[in-house]
Amino acid sequence: MEITVKQLNQTSVVSMMGSLDALTADEVTRFLSAQIGSGQKQIVADLSQVDFVSSAGLRAILAALKESRQQGGDLRIAAAQPGVEKILKMSGFTSILKDYPTVDEAVTSFGS
Amino acid sequence: MTSAREPNAKRVALVIGSGAVKCAAALGLWKVLIREGIVIDMLVGCSGGSLFATTMALGYDIDDCIEKTRRLWNREITAKRHLPSLLRAILPRLFKFDERFGMLDDGPMLRSLTSAFGEQTFADVRTRLYIVATDFHDGEQVVFSEGRLLDAIRASIAIPYIWPPWQVGDRLLVDGALSSPMPVEVAIKEGADIILAMGLQSPYPRKVKSVSRFAFQVNSIMTNNLFKANYAFHNLAHHAEIIPILPEFEKPISLFDTDQFPYVIAQGERAIEAQMPYLRRLLAAPL
Repeated sequence: MEITVKQLNQTSVVSMMGSLDALTADEVTRFLSAQIGSGQKQIVADLSQVDFVSSAGLRAILAALKESRQQGGDLRIAAAQPGVEKILKMSGFTSILKDYPTVDEAVTSFGS
Repeated sequence: MTSAREPNAKRVALVIGSGAVKCAAALGLWKVLIREGIVIDMLVGCSGGSLFATTMALGYDIDDCIEKTRRLWNREITAKRHLPSLLRAILPRLFKFDERFGMLDDGPMLRSLTSAFGEQTFADVRTRLYIVATDFHDGEQVVFSEGRLLDAIRASIAIPYIWPPWQVGDRLLVDGALSSPMPVEVAIKEGADIILAMGLQSPYPRKVKSVSRFAFQVNSIMTNNLFKANYAFHNLAHHAEIIPILPEFEKPISLFDTDQFPYVIAQGERAIEAQMPYLRRLLAAPL
């Protein structure tokens, strides 16, 4: 999976491309954990280029969510594709984390 | 499609949740898996899904599965009202209302099930099969893996208010969807490594103009929320990889629209085709 990161204000926008599944979840977990470990507690997961999330992918997102909150920050989702949004809703994730239609809105939300 | 696996191969389960005619999408999924040479090690069926899971587990080919389920699931099974139940609902004391309430007579359905499965049991299946129902008295999930197939299916599809609960042994049973509309936990418990989970949330009636529609609406609200809650927990609680297979339907499919089988099956094929590249890589990856 291709993962890139850019800094906007004090927020790390982590963009992932591909499928968030059992074969990529460990890589995503390590990447996000490294971000949080380096002091980046405000994370926006840009899912605009993610076409599928399985249970392993959900566990990776949850692990990063918990870790960021334990450090006093948060992980927020942005721009999920309709199929991915459906899985996030079906799995209850949208009831425990903040989810925005665009990256800009997700980044702005950290300021409010 | 028997479970002749090589050592260390991943165990694959197919879970077919509730959804009436839409559960036929599982046949499309199965068609693609057969083409790809992917063996299903276990089938788990709930409510409408139990019909398809059973026909697949018995080893019927796709066309036979369609024919059998078309004969099983049609408007004839809802043709007859159960007059004693209706009288009991209106005058409960006079007619002695009890827990075996159902607005429809289950005679036509039982005749269909008997015609399809007779006295066949779980011992007759070629693929491990689990059918899920719910204990009416304590709400607990009941998982069938032995006994008569007819009993398990009749219990699993005992939609509340519609058909009376079904007695098996000392348990009175209702629709499996009341405890778990998409029972991936059964596959987890039985050791599946990869779970293809085909789940369909209950539709909401467009108009509520009768008691039965009102009951259906309430039922849909509760089972859909249960679906989400269970799915959330099971995704996160275990290392098994759950791959949701979510067929899309661009037109409404009613409870008994069996003439839509070809369309529904095609949508099932499309849904699994989208996951095939990942599934192939996952099966090839080391445990």
